[in-house]
Amino acid sequence: MALEPFAQSVALTLGVELELQLVNLSDFDLADASPDLLHLLKRQPFPGNVTPEMTESMIEINSSVHTQHHSLLAQLQDIRDTLVQAGDRLNIGICGGGTHPFQQWSSQKIFSGPRFQELSALYGYLAKQFTIFGQHVHIGCASGDDAMFLLHSLNRYVPHFIALSASSPFVQGRDTQFDSARLNSVFAFPMSGRAPFTLRWAEFSDVYFAKMAKTGIIKSMKDFYWDIRPKPEFGTIELRVCDTPLTVERAAALAAYLQALCRHLLERREEPPVEDDYLVYNYNRFQACRFGLDGAITHPKTYETMSLREDIITTLRKMAPHAEALGGSAGLQHLSDAAMNGSHAQYLRTQYQRHGSAEGMVDAAIRGFRGEAMA
Amino acid sequence: MQSLLSILADLSWPFAIAAAWVAGEFGHRWTGLPRISFYGLVGFVLAQNSIGVLPSSGSATMLLMADAAFGLILFEMGYRINLRWLRNNLWLGVTGLVEAISTFAVVYLIASQFGVTTMNALLLASLAMSSSPATVLRVINEERSSGQVTERVLHLTAINCVLAVFTFNAIVGLWIFHSSGDWLGATSSSLVVLLASAGVGALFGIVVPAMLRKLGNMTQDATVAFALSVILLVALTYSTRLSPLLATLAFGLVARHRRVAFSKTQRNFGALGELLTVLLFVFAASTMQWSTLATGTGLALLVIVARFITKVASVTAFSHVSGISWRKGVLTGIALTPVSAFIILLLEHARQSGVDLGHELSALAAMTLILEIVGPIVIQRALIWAKETQQKEPQ
Repeated sequence: MALEPFAQSVALTLGVELELQLVNLSDFDLADASPDLLHLLKRQPFPGNVTPEMTESMIEINSSVHTQHHSLLAQLQDIRDTLVQAGDRLNIGICGGGTHPFQQWSSQKIFSGPRFQELSALYGYLAKQFTIFGQHVHIGCASGDDAMFLLHSLNRYVPHFIALSASSPFVQGRDTQFDSARLNSVFAFPMSGRAPFTLRWAEFSDVYFAKMAKTGIIKSMKDFYWDIRPKPEFGTIELRVCDTPLTVERAAALAAYLQALCRHLLERREEPPVEDDYLVYNYNRFQACRFGLDGAITHPKTYETMSLREDIITTLRKMAPHAEALGGSAGLQHLSDAAMNGSHAQYLRTQYQRHGSAEGMVDAAIRGFRGEAMA
Repeated sequence: MQSLLSILADLSWPFAIAAAWVAGEFGHRWTGLPRISFYGLVGFVLAQNSIGVLPSSGSATMLLMADAAFGLILFEMGYRINLRWLRNNLWLGVTGLVEAISTFAVVYLIASQFGVTTMNALLLASLAMSSSPATVLRVINEERSSGQVTERVLHLTAINCVLAVFTFNAIVGLWIFHSSGDWLGATSSSLVVLLASAGVGALFGIVVPAMLRKLGNMTQDATVAFALSVILLVALTYSTRLSPLLATLAFGLVARHRRVAFSKTQRNFGALGELLTVLLFVFAASTMQWSTLATGTGLALLVIVARFITKVASVTAFSHVSGISWRKGVLTGIALTPVSAFIILLLEHARQSGVDLGHELSALAAMTLILEIVGPIVIQRALIWAKETQQKEPQ
């Protein structure tokens, strides 16, 4: 099956998807609550969109297409409030975070639906271990060639998004020492990693995708679990490395940062991406997952080692004019505060210390998602 | 020969419990039905005079053990009740009240029609309000179910049990007043006792978590600490003639709202809870005699059917407005059917304070026995139909 043509979309438009956790308020474990929650949400118009996910303890929400940070944020807050209200009526806790800190993957229930059941049959325990929660950010691209150019130019900034969104320090009840342990689960899938290096849409679509389709391994773009992948039917690229942050404010800010970066890259003043940029890619990504903002990354062109936190703060400053032009300055300010004060992974660890239990950590995440102050 | 008999008598309870456990395991594997149905069946059969393995009147030690077992269950139940939910979703509280009160009314009317005395009809009606916390929690844990039917059955059961305890004790107080004219004695044996019981439980709910917090690393220690506290609380209420039922429920409720974590591996209080559950269900069924049953079955069946219809209708009526589908409303109502240990323990305690109802209310005994065995199956089906149970992994 040939890949569909790359749909036109307005350049630099924004959209966000968030996978959220549904939690039992008695023991703070994941709860198989999505059928009930979706039933209730269906009764009234939903701001944006809500869909079931792989297991019944998660739901996915997505925003509409936006051009500016503030309208995206307003919609995400609206969605958040609607969800929280429904959760209150059904005694379900809803929260962000890339992993649930102590759920046992073996006790997850796969949502009934042909695609989910099929994936479950293929991947076995990987499918249940995939009970992880990510944020995806879409950026509109004027053409397929722009999409491929952005996709590869962003390689150097992928660690920024991992570190800024990291919120999955615990897995199965243990501190993993990673800030984003979630991505380790993604890497287990055979089709994860990065897109092949080609800057032209025609080459990607007619050569690479056509060959892969012929092998029979791939049926659609959905079968690739890449860090960034093109989404031809929307005319966007989709950044998939972020953990779902604890708050929708952080989620909107990350989208604003990506939007500003893309505007900057499209000016094509930076050295163009080359295949060799990826020599340092996996290691940088590991540093960001493992140490978060405290990681050290290697510049793909100069091979200089830099503090990830400093690189983020410098880049945020450099993007300020773009953010201003796009109306995203508030988002960048939010992230620069986060880079200084610590990520959500760090916040969760502090909560663990304070409450003495992983359950207390989930409770804090639920409060954070509701918009309560995170002290 | 004499010594052999006394050895056999000593062995009777351990034997009955082991037999019930074996029956439960095999029965569950072969039929998929809940284990506790088999425990009850074995207890009932072994306790019959004609078979005579178990003494027909429960010993004091066994009652204490059963109370401890039930205390653990009520604590866990209380721990899973979220009072904030009742505030966020007022219709849920309304459902609970309407469901319990209309059950009371319907059962009272039927019993009066059958010529049961007013007092007995009131007592029967008050007990019929309650669902069985033990059966409900046990089946939910066995099926590892989660969803709205599961959550609502837990909350509605807690509500109707509390209402049943209060109504029952109020009526017993009234009875004492009528028969002795002792106004003070009547009040103290009902309201004061209940409030004191809840108070002691609440005190435990504050002190125990605070102590655990001091110890640190509570996720590992909480199970044993809570189990020991529950057993202590039961023993304490026992010797002071307070209600262990209300005390342990209040303990769980307050402990939950003090927010000390309690991890999932400790559901059912692990192996200790399993063991005591077998004992509880065997004991509960062993208090029933076939002869009492036979006389009360007609009215019992009628009450069971009327109670079932009333509960299903009331819960369903408020299902849409409280945020679930009609279908789940019906299933929640069905899942409220079980009756068991709760009533038996209430009756045993009433007997201890000099009010013997068991023999006068043969219909109640019959209803309890029938639902002790059928009830678990009914709630299990409701949870399966609601698709809230865990699917069995393909082997």
